Amino acid sequence: MTTAPEAAAVADEAPGTERRLAGVRLQDYALLIVVILLFITGAILKPDSFPTADNIRNMLTQASVVGVLAIGMTFVIATAGIDLSVGSMVAAAGMAGGVLVDPDGGTLIFILGALGFATLMGTVNATAIAYGRVVPFIATLAMFSIGRGVALLLNDKLPVSLLDLNGGSFGDPRPFSLLWFGTGKIVGIPISVYVFLGITVLGWVLLNRTAYGRHVVAVGGNRQAARIAGVPVRRTIFSVYVLSGLLAGVAAVLLCARLASASPVSGNLYELDAIGAVVIGGTSLMGGRATIVGTFLGVLTFALIFSLMTQLDLSTEVQQVTKGGIVLGAVLLQRPEARL
Amino acid sequence: MSLKRLFMLFAAAAVLSLGVAACGGDDDDSADSAQTTTDTSAESPAKGGDVTIVASVPPTDHGWLGAISKDAKAAAEKHDDVDFRLLEAADADSQAQQIEQVISEKPDALVVLPQDGAALTPVAQKAERAGIPVINVDRLFTAPDAATATILGDNYQIGVLAAEYISDQLKCKGNVVEIQGLAGISVTEERTKGFKDQLKKSCPDGGIDIVASQPGDFNPDTGLKVMENILQAQDKIDAVYTHDDDMAQGVVQAIRNAGRDDEMFLTGVGGSQDAMDQIREGGLYRATFLYNPNMAASAVNMARLIALGQGFSELVPPEVPRQLVVPAATVTKQNVDKYEQYAFN
Repeated sequence: MTTAPEAAAVADEAPGTERRLAGVRLQDYALLIVVILLFITGAILKPDSFPTADNIRNMLTQASVVGVLAIGMTFVIATAGIDLSVGSMVAAAGMAGGVLVDPDGGTLIFILGALGFATLMGTVNATAIAYGRVVPFIATLAMFSIGRGVALLLNDKLPVSLLDLNGGSFGDPRPFSLLWFGTGKIVGIPISVYVFLGITVLGWVLLNRTAYGRHVVAVGGNRQAARIAGVPVRRTIFSVYVLSGLLAGVAAVLLCARLASASPVSGNLYELDAIGAVVIGGTSLMGGRATIVGTFLGVLTFALIFSLMTQLDLSTEVQQVTKGGIVLGAVLLQRPEARL
Repeated sequence: MSLKRLFMLFAAAAVLSLGVAACGGDDDDSADSAQTTTDTSAESPAKGGDVTIVASVPPTDHGWLGAISKDAKAAAEKHDDVDFRLLEAADADSQAQQIEQVISEKPDALVVLPQDGAALTPVAQKAERAGIPVINVDRLFTAPDAATATILGDNYQIGVLAAEYISDQLKCKGNVVEIQGLAGISVTEERTKGFKDQLKKSCPDGGIDIVASQPGDFNPDTGLKVMENILQAQDKIDAVYTHDDDMAQGVVQAIRNAGRDDEMFLTGVGGSQDAMDQIREGGLYRATFLYNPNMAASAVNMARLIALGQGFSELVPPEVPRQLVVPAATVTKQNVDKYEQYAFN
């Protein structure tokens, strides 16, 4: 994947006349450069354990949870909204699925329960925002709190073990058992990575190649103009929060599959990681400009930073300063003025 | 129009539930607290014989903290003369506000497990000056006049016991990974320091390398992610010292997912039922170091004695000691039966 089709899509909105003429514009490739630099740094500092197939698999698997959330968040932010509740929804959805299958029940019930409950919570957000006219920040802040509370209430603050859904086996899980979604592989690639990549591609098509995608960006760009142009504004806003909820359910399944349990404290602060990935990817918090490829690269950036810093065994304080510095640098590189 | 109003109502309901959730606590708590609030304002402190005790703790969304609140409530229920109320606060700031509120109600004693000892020291001092004895649990205040009595676990000793156990098992030879708790709080620092100090004493000639030391935030999914990365970086690990049983479940899962459970063993801290079950089964989870949440029950009993002007009858004269340190203990397959009665969920 390259950023080229993305740039073409954005060109409709932005004044893009000089885009092709100015040679290499840092803005479009900055994040790709950051990702490559991080990978090279890792390869130099940890040549034996960083640039290995196994570690790339590991990083992509870890990225898949927040990655799925970030794709949904891209649509939300494209409409000039925000969803602060995704982390709480991940925990609540996992617990809802877990309570449904406890003590006996199948993987399918768990997955449907988690997806269904997350979609329901997303729908509550959507209703409050699109029809109740609550500001997205407040509506999803309320769900941030409600979702976490529900996650704790569902099983009296205790985690639910999902080990039995895997037949109790490790290493090579049975296809379609829950653990298989977390660590199972097809031709060497983990299932959760297929899910993440699949959703990324679908998200790209939806945003860039359908009328719906144009509606989402139009609503975020200028709501008044969109309404006059005949875009179903409310329905569009409603849909992005439902989508974000559904994808929180998917993220919950991927996380619980790896943990072999549902924990009411999981997903803590995932919303910040998801929003961070979307924004350093180049989607505008003001709405009207969105890029799935950018979000994908943003997710990779965070995954690379986390993996590299843990492998180097840096202390927490050094990690925090470094991570903040890299994020700030990546965003500064993307300013329109920055050029090679 | 009316539809719009209906949605406004929903929105209001949502905001309300936000408020309720922010106050923390599950149903029974808030019901309890509502009752006791009216009780206190109406009759205490004049009511003869009865003592009102208020406990303030961080959110009990974690196994060990959950056990703290359960144990405190259970201890209070055993005494007919105790009016007890437990408050949960989301963070240090709201805990301070909560305690301010409680001071104005003049309970007979206050039991505080602070989210952050330093941040809550001023408000504890204020309670003490208002004549309300404060019993400090587990995380220390930073001034001596902030508490009448203190009961705490021995975090340094936990680290010492873990180092003794691991160096003994490994015969002073091997690679150890440490998955810490929350960075920057005294509990984590002490558990790390005790571990490092004792490793030097147990193995004076070296031999054990701490190849990675990373925080898992007492959270299973952070523990999972951090351990996944460490497993990538380290191709030979002999033992994993984790700071918490709950978090250790995520670490265990990372090791199992990687199919490396025969290569190493792991220890926890706390004494959860889950950990004890796995220790009995044998395998990856080899030991945990008891850090007993029933110190909260002792704290409530101490608060009652102080409020009644009594003390430990074994002490001469009978008093409540200024500081009690609950000993830590090593739980292994050999002695798990003895300690299981203290396990928490």
